[in-house]
Amino acid sequence: MSEVINKTVDEATQVAIMDQCPTADVPARSPLAHQDQSSKVAPQNPGVFLWEDALKTHLVLRGDANNADFRQGIEAATGLDLPEALQSTQSDDWALGWIAPDEWLLTGPGDQAFAMETTLRKHLSGHYAVINVSGGQTLVRLAGPEARSVLMKSCPYDVHDRNFPIGKIVNTVLAKSQATIRRLGENDWELVVRRSFADYIWRWLMDASGEYGLHLGQPDAATAARQSNPSRANPVEG
Amino acid sequence: MTQTNRLNTGGRIDRSQPVTFQFNGQSYQGYRGDTLASALLANGVDVVGRSFKYSRPRGIVAAGAEEPNAVFQLGATEATQVPNVRATQQDIFDGLVAQPTSGWPNLNFDFMGTFSKVFGRMLPPGFYYKTFMFPQAAWETYEKYIRKAAGLGRSPRVKDADTYDHMNQHTDVLIVGAGPTGLAAALSAARAGARVILADEQAEMGGSLLATRDQLDGQAAADWVKATLDELAGYDHVQLLPRSTVNGYHDHNFLTIHQRRTDHLADKAPDNISRQRLHRVRAKWVLLATGAHERPLVYGNNDVPGCMVASAVSTYINQYAVAPGRRLVLMTSNDYAYRTAFDWQDAGREVVAIVDSRHDVSGRYQEEARRRGIKLLLGQGVIEARGNKRVDGAVVAQLDPTGDKVVGGGRVLDCDTIATSGGWSPALHLSCHTGSRPVWDDEVIGFVPGKTVQQQLVAGAVAGTFTLNECLKEGAQKGAEAAALAGFPSQAVKTPSTEHWPEAKPMALFCVPHKKRNSRAPKQFVDFQTDVTAAAIELATREGFESIEHVKRYTAMGFGTDQGKLGNINGMAIAAKSMNKTIPETGTTIFRPNYTPVTFGAIAGRHCRDLFDPMRYSAMHEWHVKQGAEFEDVGQWKRPWYFPKPGETMQQALDRECLATRESVGILDASTLGKIDIQGKDAREFLGRVYTNAWAKLPVGKCRYGLMCHEDGMVFDDGVTSCMGENHFVMTTTTGGAAGVLEWLEFYHQTEWPEMEVYMNTVTDHWATMTIAGPNARKLLSELTDDINLDRDSFKFMDWRQGTVAGVPARVFRISFTGELSYEINVQANYGLHVWEKLFEHGAKYNLTPYGTETMHILRAEKGFIIAGQDTDGSVHPYDLGMSWAVKEDKPYSFIGKRGMKREDCVRDYRKQLVGLKTKDPSIVLPEGAQAVDDPNHPIPVPMLGHITSSYYSANLGRSIALGVVKGGHDRMGETVYYPLTDGRVVEAEICSTIFLDPKGERQNV
Repeated sequence: MSEVINKTVDEATQVAIMDQCPTADVPARSPLAHQDQSSKVAPQNPGVFLWEDALKTHLVLRGDANNADFRQGIEAATGLDLPEALQSTQSDDWALGWIAPDEWLLTGPGDQAFAMETTLRKHLSGHYAVINVSGGQTLVRLAGPEARSVLMKSCPYDVHDRNFPIGKIVNTVLAKSQATIRRLGENDWELVVRRSFADYIWRWLMDASGEYGLHLGQPDAATAARQSNPSRANPVEG
Repeated sequence: MTQTNRLNTGGRIDRSQPVTFQFNGQSYQGYRGDTLASALLANGVDVVGRSFKYSRPRGIVAAGAEEPNAVFQLGATEATQVPNVRATQQDIFDGLVAQPTSGWPNLNFDFMGTFSKVFGRMLPPGFYYKTFMFPQAAWETYEKYIRKAAGLGRSPRVKDADTYDHMNQHTDVLIVGAGPTGLAAALSAARAGARVILADEQAEMGGSLLATRDQLDGQAAADWVKATLDELAGYDHVQLLPRSTVNGYHDHNFLTIHQRRTDHLADKAPDNISRQRLHRVRAKWVLLATGAHERPLVYGNNDVPGCMVASAVSTYINQYAVAPGRRLVLMTSNDYAYRTAFDWQDAGREVVAIVDSRHDVSGRYQEEARRRGIKLLLGQGVIEARGNKRVDGAVVAQLDPTGDKVVGGGRVLDCDTIATSGGWSPALHLSCHTGSRPVWDDEVIGFVPGKTVQQQLVAGAVAGTFTLNECLKEGAQKGAEAAALAGFPSQAVKTPSTEHWPEAKPMALFCVPHKKRNSRAPKQFVDFQTDVTAAAIELATREGFESIEHVKRYTAMGFGTDQGKLGNINGMAIAAKSMNKTIPETGTTIFRPNYTPVTFGAIAGRHCRDLFDPMRYSAMHEWHVKQGAEFEDVGQWKRPWYFPKPGETMQQALDRECLATRESVGILDASTLGKIDIQGKDAREFLGRVYTNAWAKLPVGKCRYGLMCHEDGMVFDDGVTSCMGENHFVMTTTTGGAAGVLEWLEFYHQTEWPEMEVYMNTVTDHWATMTIAGPNARKLLSELTDDINLDRDSFKFMDWRQGTVAGVPARVFRISFTGELSYEINVQANYGLHVWEKLFEHGAKYNLTPYGTETMHILRAEKGFIIAGQDTDGSVHPYDLGMSWAVKEDKPYSFIGKRGMKREDCVRDYRKQLVGLKTKDPSIVLPEGAQAVDDPNHPIPVPMLGHITSSYYSANLGRSIALGVVKGGHDRMGETVYYPLTDGRVVEAEICSTIFLDPKGERQNV
């Protein structure tokens, strides 16, 4: 084998690793970079805020949750507890969400993918896998008092408070695609969507938000405070 | 026009808010709170349609979903047309435009009036049955006229101006119907803390309480309704859905609710608001409180406008302040309907008589009738209505005690309205949707829901509980029960009560006999929408259709958009009687979703137009769009098909792309190919088991092509897999097969080989993949990388290298689907567009030419490379493809498909085998799918040898080329086969190798 290849293999696992971010000044295009992501006319009292949390690190972790070494290794590398089924854990920079019985998704700062992968591999041993999927998916954020209504129009999973408390994470159907949905706050949701489906999902969410007043972009602090305690809408429509 | 039938006081309409609307081209006025039906009745509109078969004038008979006649086409513009709207469930608004759907060509011009006698004979019972049987070809012609004459609505001819959407709901308890039972149930369940959805099909919740003059605990019933709704609206966990029909009760307590959000407001919904919404509800428990429909009695000419269901008359008077006539004859077989006569009289109108079919009956209701001075005719029945476009008399005759025959001569009572009641039929439609068979109850004189098959309760009238006090109590109790079952222990709320008048035993009467036998009597209609008469049902049973399901199909009873809500039970009773059976012996037909018609828009929701299906884009999609690419759907991906230059035809573009690639260098966006990252110490062994060929010795840094088979030995996917590390591989799959292959791998890992230490993950979207192919590919790439040695002996065909391309870390695979020198560059997708653009910056001097899937197909076909799914169809194994080199028979562990491809049929001679085909005339491109024969002049049936799987014009070869399967083809090289085409031509072709170009593979090894 050529010298180049040998350098890029993790010795313990014999798995190829690679810093996939350019060191040179190369522009990155997120999956939704082509979409106009700012409202031309912001609605008066938006019911929904929608924005892309672009260019983050996305690492898929595979392993055995019952293996104490794996659990401890993850915790040592990320500073986060390995979450139980349908749960997520979070620090300032990183979030770790349960995806499947042997799968978790770690998201964090965009320039940290390789460093984090290397750290994880340092702390992990045995049968596990770390897969960098940062280019393959993006985070779409949905906030505002009607964000939950938008999800109800889009997703067959029950997003009611009683079934979907803050911190819960679910991998489910969204419109005719799929998303990993995590609840970050009372009116604050995060959707992990596949790159190739991102445009479709973005357009779907914009469409579903239309009736509630959609603001493309994050709420500013003042708006967020106002929105956190929404007045209850009349349940009898019309 | 004035509202001649409007009462001065009472009702729930708002007289301060007049509303102007149009019906049948005429302008009318009603009030806010009116339905279209109540407003038409207020205006004295008697005829609202003409009947399906006999073109008889028809009027409004009911006040709810069961209305068969007042079914209209709505819409002020072509884009807002809505068919099949029941006037009894449509609020009026300013500018509403409604048209009768029946009565073609005109409601009042009686086109078929005289013709109907002839036409009617052409449509005897069994017409549909006989027409479907023969002659089939004529049906299309019949259908056109039948639809038009029958009064079925039409869809808009232009794009619908409105949108529709879906809402997914989850609830502990779904209560269907917000009458007394449903409201009481909702209170119990809501106070217990359960999540509750209360849905009701009418504009206002309250059901019968909105039209009753009964008081609850000494207060108007409507006050209790309001207090209850106010309380419910105050709960966060309760959702009230008025104007929302629970239309379907599906498996696993999944129900669909059709909500009309803006139909009551305007012709078109406001911007951004869907006109209708389909709620898709998962309910832990369902409580049906759907009430009952009053059954009209069947008698001669019972379809003349002015013949109505008794309770509907009361509803129009009490809820809408409309007395739909002047002089009423009420015919009943029970006490409860007497209330209609009292309501009528209290509205200041004349009650001509109450005709009660029972002989000996006396009680509170009869006393009250006498007290009011109403003429009471006991043991009698209305045997015939008189009148044409409006009732002008009722023929009344003495009946025998069983109601089987007329025993006394008839006399005519002067009247303009005949209201009838034969009792109440529980609205058990939703229960039927679940597969629960209804059971007959002699006490109820009706079918009630049978054993439930889902997590479902029933309460109130649908369960055969008819008195208001009992309904309230039962509702409260069942609501609490439903909540408890859903995990919210609770108690029934205390419900108010009303003074109850004891009722005498009702009589089971369905069809009132006539002096003449039914076949000679004036038509006694059972199903208004399909013009089925008592005589027609009797004829059906005489002709031997004894099963009620056969009677239904023979007569078309219940086939209308109302599914026979009013008439079915009467029809079954008539069928039973004519066969001397009981009703339970005869049985009942059941109901299917939807309860009332649902617009297609609501079913589609937002899954239409550009949101119909996901469109998957690669990281370079924007570039393709800017270049004017034509796109092809591959799975859900939008892949560039070809890149036409201005003025180019498709073939010209393809020729240019093909030549440029073989002459210099072309580029393909290959990002859509499936990519599966496989890690773990058993990864290599795993590959050996799922692929047909060997993987044990593939070194790190090398790539290998593989075929994947199902257990039957048939090829289902293929692709190149590369060894990234000793325990690490990246597999590529076909674009359309990616998800299926990953699922296949997981399936085998999880069910057959869970002990193998391997993890599979999709990285399809993570890597942007661009393939540069052609003699100048190396030169181009060398300009963009300085850390990959591209030397032909260092970086060989089927090697991969890691390095930097255009400043971006990349994995470069030297693999080829064109037979050219070719590099597949993979970079993290966020940098894909950058690298792609850099390639073009440097590629201009090499005439770097983007090509799409079509050129890719041509170039690979020139080399005889298969496309799984195009050249294979699930019946082709590797040997059929001539790819024995890709099967390693002696692997230590077996592989999937090994045994399958050894089956007797797989190893016999004369299987269809993949070969190349050259047409004798090189300019003819055979159509894909064309069938090969040995002798085109063979008499039909001609033995067929196989079909063309791929066929193109190759600019590089200056001729057409094709791949196809031919029986025993591998042993027939050089022989001729014929392709008879659908246009009559027969194309002669020679069987040849699948490799048309560069058979030694020299071009890719430079």
